[in-house]
Amino acid sequence: MQDAVLMSPVAFAHALRKPVNGEVNGMETALSFDAADVEAKRSQTLSICDVSNLNRFGVKGPQAANWLQAAGIKLPGTTNSWTPQDNGSLVMRLGNTEFLLEDQPENDLTGMLNDTAVNEGGVHKVLRNDAAFIVSGELTPALFSEVCAIDLEGATLEENRLVMTVIAGVSATLLKQTLNGQSVYRIWCDGTFGPYLWKTLLGIIEEQGGGPVGFNFYYKLN
Amino acid sequence: MKLLECPINGIRPLSEFTYGGEYRDMPNPDTCSDKEWAAYVHYRNGAPGVKKEWWYHGPSGTWFIAERDTMADKVIRTYIAGQEEAK
Repeated sequence: MQDAVLMSPVAFAHALRKPVNGEVNGMETALSFDAADVEAKRSQTLSICDVSNLNRFGVKGPQAANWLQAAGIKLPGTTNSWTPQDNGSLVMRLGNTEFLLEDQPENDLTGMLNDTAVNEGGVHKVLRNDAAFIVSGELTPALFSEVCAIDLEGATLEENRLVMTVIAGVSATLLKQTLNGQSVYRIWCDGTFGPYLWKTLLGIIEEQGGGPVGFNFYYKLN
Repeated sequence: MKLLECPINGIRPLSEFTYGGEYRDMPNPDTCSDKEWAAYVHYRNGAPGVKKEWWYHGPSGTWFIAERDTMADKVIRTYIAGQEEAK
């Protein structure tokens, strides 16, 4: 009997491009699609990267905020905003009482929370199976103007705001952060919509002269 | 493009929302008469006017109430159920 291999929800959409694959957080992931200099150029123009392998943890309920604070998590103060932890993990407040946390490759805050027992009512852990992308480049406004119904220019995503909207017909969460000194957009959607959203965004990205970049472009792994 | 204001997420295109039916107070099924219960289950008031309606913002999973004038198709205000005093 073979061991099951967990694959990225968008792995099949990657396959035709024959990326260099590797395992990250137990998930087979496209580490690179092209030479580093080609990917670097794409990231300046317009690019998309699959980061579905990053560990995530969801929790909701009227006592979720108290439970997270008791676990030492720094929370965003307002609805639809996010804040980074000291170790780089992201904490997003998706509503009044719902939170999504995402680790960086080198830390395991989500594992600690998964191991933390819930002893009170009003706290419900939420299983996440997101497809997650990083979109970067100077032509991102042109991309989002084609697939987003709301205007993402201006202050919509400033000051650690996040937006839950429809991108190319798919419900998604979107925020803007600085990664390795570069301003990038992060997108999360349900994993089952991942391949469609990847193909749709990549189609527009390639029309604009960009392309895919691998996980190693943003996160160097040993 | 038609727009609707979600109390949590702000003004969004109507395509992000789903109509969830008219908001009506449910009679207590343990104490009401069969006639009252049957009226609640089967009857709807189709007359135009200001109605309270359930609406759902799909991307964020937010259910809320919209008070809408169905004659003019104009939304008067939206709020989370139970928080109408705050709006």
